[in-house]
Formats: sequence, C-alpha cells, structure tokens
Amino acid sequence: MSDWGWVALAFAIVYGTLGAYTAALMRRAARLRRGVER
Amino acid sequence: MIKPLDVAAGSVLVTALVLGLVVPPDAVQGDLQRIMYVHVPSAWLAYLSFGLTLVFGVAYLRTRRIRWDHLAGASAEVGVVFTGLALVTGSIWGKPVWGVWWTWDARLVLTAVMFFVYLGYLALRRAFEDPEVRARRASVYGIVAVAQIPLVHFSVVWWRGLHQPPTVLRPGDPQIDGPLLAALLAAVFAFTVVYAALVSRRAEVARLEDLAAALPADGAVAGAGISAPPIVGGGR
Repeated sequence: MSDWGWVALAFAIVYGTLGAYTAALMRRAARLRRGVER
Repeated sequence: MIKPLDVAAGSVLVTALVLGLVVPPDAVQGDLQRIMYVHVPSAWLAYLSFGLTLVFGVAYLRTRRIRWDHLAGASAEVGVVFTGLALVTGSIWGKPVWGVWWTWDARLVLTAVMFFVYLGYLALRRAFEDPEVRARRASVYGIVAVAQIPLVHFSVVWWRGLHQPPTVLRPGDPQIDGPLLAALLAAVFAFTVVYAALVSRRAEVARLEDLAAALPADGAVAGAGISAPPIVGGGR
C-alpha cells in the first residue's frame, strides 16, 4: 500500500469512529428522552 | 439536537483534518508522518480523559453529587475510545515504518494495559444498579487506575524500546519543524474540543439512563399481572 493509503486508512478509522460514536450517543439520548417523557 | 459545542467541535475537526493533509511532508518519514496528526491527539486525549475521570471521581466523593459521577463515567468511556484509536493508528503507522503491526515495546504494552484497565472501569460501572454504590466504587477505581498515566508517558524514557521519546512534551525546544508543529497542535486542540462535546453528550445519556432506571417498569402497576384467558372460537 502507498504512504497515502496508510494515511487514508488511519484518518478514515479515526474520523469514522468519532462520527459513529457521536451518532450512537445522539440516537441513544433521543430514545431515552422519549422513554422518560412518556 | 445539535448544540453549539457540537458545531465548534465539527468546525475545528475539519480544520485539523485539512491542515493535517496540506502541511509539507516530514523530511524523513514523508507522508506517513501525517498519521501522527490523529495518533498523537488520540494518545493525549487518553491521558486527559483518565486524568479527568480522577478529578470527577474526587469531586463526587467530596460532594456526593451524582452529576460528577456521570461526568467521570463519560470521560472514561470517551478515553477508552481514544486509547483504542491511539493503539490502532499507532499500529497502522508501525506496519510501514517499523515493519510490524505490533511489538512488545514498553509504551505499546503499557498503553494496551491502560486500555484494558479502563474497560474494567466501565465493566465495574455496569455491575451495580444503585447509582450511589456505583459512583462510590467507580470513583475509587478511577483514582487508583490513574497511576498508569505517568508510567505510560515516561516508559519511553525509563526503558529502551522502539517507540520514540517525547517530541513536544520534553525538556528544551520541541524537535519538530514549525508548520508540522502547528498542524499537530491544531489537531490536539480540535480533538480536545471533540472530547468536551462527546463527554457532554455521554454524561447526558448517563443522566437519562439513571432517570429511566428509576421509573417503574412498563406494566408494573397493581393488577397488571392478571389477564383474561384468550377467547378461542369467539364471534359465534
């Protein structure tokens, strides 16, 4: 793999993980809020 | 709901990403050095997260306000995410530069141990239903576990290994060129703002989880367990 390939892999994992974690937290908060308010 | 802190985190993160991709390559490692713009901030966040888990734990033990425990748990969970990212990105950098995904270097091993110790912290938090008991025990665990941070940081000084010694946080001037240092510090700042946004969100989830757990379960009302037998062949 080229140098840029390794860089792209590392950046994709970091930014992808942070994005997925943020989305998961927002979804869980929304679900819990609905349950508590019901 | 999007908060101002989320917008700030997204903005600085995009700025750090662009900077990390456009600054000149390193004279020795070439473009592979760009991996440091995600690896070093992740490792810094591991230190900060677990350091603040200790601070929030102490604050809980002093005040007994459950909000501090929510922040401690949030900080530890976000810290585990960043420690995992530091391990993975270090491994991705190590394969082309060192020729191996993993080596039994003191820094690598101690970072992996720290990762598993804080996974243990998260497991401990799930072991108790009573928020007060959970908060008290997790606070003590968080205070004891933080002793690993200086061990991880100074491992590259105390033991000879493959991992390079500190480049920025060292006595004397940083051993890194100006534009590369600027990109690195921008990434560290951006990741720190992201950490604040994530901890804020995770602590809110913890507060809602405690609220939901305190509510009576669905159908837990008098008489709810009694039901009429199903009508078979009805409608005649």
